[in-house]
Amino acid sequence: MTKPRGLIQHTFSGLKKDPLGMTGFVLVSIILLLTIFAPWLAPYDPLDINVNNRLSSPSAAHWLGTDQLGRDILSRVLFGGQVALKVSLVAISVSMAVGLVLGMLAGLGPRWLDRILVILFDTVRSFPTIMFALAIVALTGPSLNTVIGVIIITSIPVYARVVRTQTRALRERDFILAERAMGASTGRILRDHVLPNIAAPLFILASMDVPAVVGMEAGLSFLGLGVSPPTPSWGSILNDGYSYLRNSPWPIIAGGIPLIAITLGFTFFGESLRDIFDPKLRRKDQ
Amino acid sequence: MNPPVLDIQGLSINYQTELGPLQALRDVNLVVPEGKIIGIVGESGCGKSTLISAIIRLLAPNAQIKQGSVNFKGKDLLSLSPEQMRSLRGDEISMVFQDPMTSLNPVLTIGRQMSDVQHRNTSSRSEKNARSLMMLERVGIPDPETQLQRYPHHLSGGMRQRVAIAMALMAEPALLIADEPTTALDATLEVQIIHRLKELQREFGCSILFISHHLGVIAELCDEVVVMYAGEVVESGSLREVFIDPKHPYTQKLLECDPARIAQPTRELPVIEGSLPNLVNLPAGCIFRERCSHAMTRCSAERPVLSGGHHQAACHLLESSP
Amino acid sequence: MSTLLTVRDLRVRYSVRGGFVDVVHGVSLDINRGETTAIVGESGSGKTTLAMALCGLAPIHGGEVRLDGEMLKQDRKNRLNPDRKRVALMFQDPVGSLNPRMTVRRALAEPFRIHGSDAQSPDKEALRLLSMVGLGDDFADRYPHQLSGGQARRVGVARALALRPDVLIADEPTAGLDVSIQGEILNLLSRLQKEMGVGILMITHNLNVVRHVADQMAIMYLGRFIEQGNSQQIFDQPRHPYTAALLSANPSPDPDAQSSQIELKGDVPSLLQRPSGCEFHTRCPRAKVQCRNAFPELTATNGNQQFNCFFPMGE
Repeated sequence: MTKPRGLIQHTFSGLKKDPLGMTGFVLVSIILLLTIFAPWLAPYDPLDINVNNRLSSPSAAHWLGTDQLGRDILSRVLFGGQVALKVSLVAISVSMAVGLVLGMLAGLGPRWLDRILVILFDTVRSFPTIMFALAIVALTGPSLNTVIGVIIITSIPVYARVVRTQTRALRERDFILAERAMGASTGRILRDHVLPNIAAPLFILASMDVPAVVGMEAGLSFLGLGVSPPTPSWGSILNDGYSYLRNSPWPIIAGGIPLIAITLGFTFFGESLRDIFDPKLRRKDQ
Repeated sequence: MNPPVLDIQGLSINYQTELGPLQALRDVNLVVPEGKIIGIVGESGCGKSTLISAIIRLLAPNAQIKQGSVNFKGKDLLSLSPEQMRSLRGDEISMVFQDPMTSLNPVLTIGRQMSDVQHRNTSSRSEKNARSLMMLERVGIPDPETQLQRYPHHLSGGMRQRVAIAMALMAEPALLIADEPTTALDATLEVQIIHRLKELQREFGCSILFISHHLGVIAELCDEVVVMYAGEVVESGSLREVFIDPKHPYTQKLLECDPARIAQPTRELPVIEGSLPNLVNLPAGCIFRERCSHAMTRCSAERPVLSGGHHQAACHLLESSP
Repeated sequence: MSTLLTVRDLRVRYSVRGGFVDVVHGVSLDINRGETTAIVGESGSGKTTLAMALCGLAPIHGGEVRLDGEMLKQDRKNRLNPDRKRVALMFQDPVGSLNPRMTVRRALAEPFRIHGSDAQSPDKEALRLLSMVGLGDDFADRYPHQLSGGQARRVGVARALALRPDVLIADEPTAGLDVSIQGEILNLLSRLQKEMGVGILMITHNLNVVRHVADQMAIMYLGRFIEQGNSQQIFDQPRHPYTAALLSANPSPDPDAQSSQIELKGDVPSLLQRPSGCEFHTRCPRAKVQCRNAFPELTATNGNQQFNCFFPMGE
């Protein structure tokens, strides 16, 4: 398969030609950097309460103002990014991995297995996410891990379905038959022929899923089902800000901006990636 | 003598690509007289698809008409507005495409599609259906009443192609363009359809522009033949003139390569050495020079033009002979 | 032994809604070393299914196949299991039979990787194979969609012959190719056949090609061979009316030739409703009452031409 260095070069040359994709990439990079380096970049401790300075507007000392407990919003947003990052990384990688396995089983395995799995996927998907989260929280209590767990369970069927459809389509393709005619084992076919042809769509789906996952976490935390105070998450910042909207709009604005930025960034970037990695879009001489 | 139905003069079309302009058609002349069947012979890359797209004005967005005119019954199609062009399509100019699997709408019944084609007609639905039935009979479809109710996927490829021909001829167009209509079909079906097309043409009197790389079918159907190579017309004339006495080296080679023509069975089939030239970086001189066994010095410098009377070919060899 | 593959009374049956279809309905043939046998038929004749069955990609319902005298066994799904190093398959769609995300080099290395060869490294073998089919080294790093039809076909030939198989089954090797390129591919196959002694089974509907490259041929209709034997003999004197119709349907580009095409009535019948008696009677211009009522037994002429017909041509 392609060497990593070649892969990166190829990605960059593709991005250079696509301004939207480049914008997305830049946005994503900025957010990632800010998030990873939050502990060094944040001017204040996000948990630092200062009741004298509640709900203040942006100023030189507090670039995004303060929340209802006088905590610096900017710092909370930066650290909230870490929560978002952790949730998306963990949730998406696990869902993708499990979804990949289940999807391939459904797509390539015997008919009866496929039927059972599809019923399973559809059943899980038919539960409204919030209800599901409420049910789990009732059992385990609200926490970040609950949020991650709920997101994983509701995301697996989505990835699995995509993998299943792609795998089934591939199954009858001539080049798969050619491999079987050459005597290739099922394992080899899965590894060398099915996987590379479904991996790209899968990764791109994942990158476009980041905003959704972050949004889900924000939503669940907004409802109080996720992160427990005082830990900052974008959702809890929005929650707090909602109650005090009449006093100051800044918590809402501050909580919303990163969500918008991450949605736009990953969407543009993901779409650009999809085009870059479609071999058919390469010119004849590349 | 009536003016020709189609008269293409000096048509040159480029495609804008990342590597530069691709000269898909260069100075193409083509005449389709009234009531005649003209065949275009050419292999992949000869520009026939571009030519057809230009005639019906459905070129790709990156296509650029550098020069030339496409006169249909005296009107230059290239200067018509989209609305004017649309009124001609399906009425005076109709088309049959190569792939019978995709040229019909899979979610509409045959009857519905055949009525839709008659949308310019203000007659009632039953009158339109009657006309559809008549056309289906004409193209030799058995039990036409039942077929009107069916969907395309119920019909075989041969039947679908016949329906496509029926739809194309229903408006009694002046010009029918058939783009490889039988290439995707089995040989025995091809025979049926070609015979049918011949009968219908005699009956309706329309002109047909028939594109195919199947030389046997061209010989069966066409009155005149135009041979295209890499975007140029290299030879044209009546069927007999071109097929029995080919003048251009490419035509000669092409006819030699057709296994049907080779009387003695052989394990070493003739080929045309080399490959298609790069249409972005056009070689100087004759377009066929690199693959021609008769190439002279003049051929790399000067581009030959069509010469001769009714039977024309673009080759320096012809000009040098007295 | 000169006969590599013997097929006797092979059957492939699929269940469908409404019953079952016998796509291959009792087919027998021999493939010999260094010879080319062509199976000719139109869409729906079952010729591609026959090719798939011989390579173990379709289940067998009956009959037996022997490779070098040894009978091939079936797996749990009733598929044959020939030694893949000895029986190779070339697909009809040259670009589609290559993994779109794999370079040509990688695709050509596959047979070696699968069967673990102790020859030179798979990559070196890939380059050797490219030159064997007349493609330069620069093709190694191309992707399938960057190849023309003829180039992709050559890659297919190279991949199929990589391990020097005894039998090569080629499904429509000239389909979709321009006439000037068809010759190149066929010449390539002939040359390699002479060098390697491989027996070729060619599935095609292009009779003009068969006349030149096939030693033996069989004409297939609704899953059966209705005529088979030495191809030259059959071309000179076809006995079965369907064979005659097929031959006449491929006119030579000769404007002076009389239009002698035999036009067959109607369409190919559905496999779900096979006609009674001689299955071709519904379309045959020579059919008589007897043809509807009884199945014509095999007639063999001198030489090895065989056919099933009550009223063959030339009588």
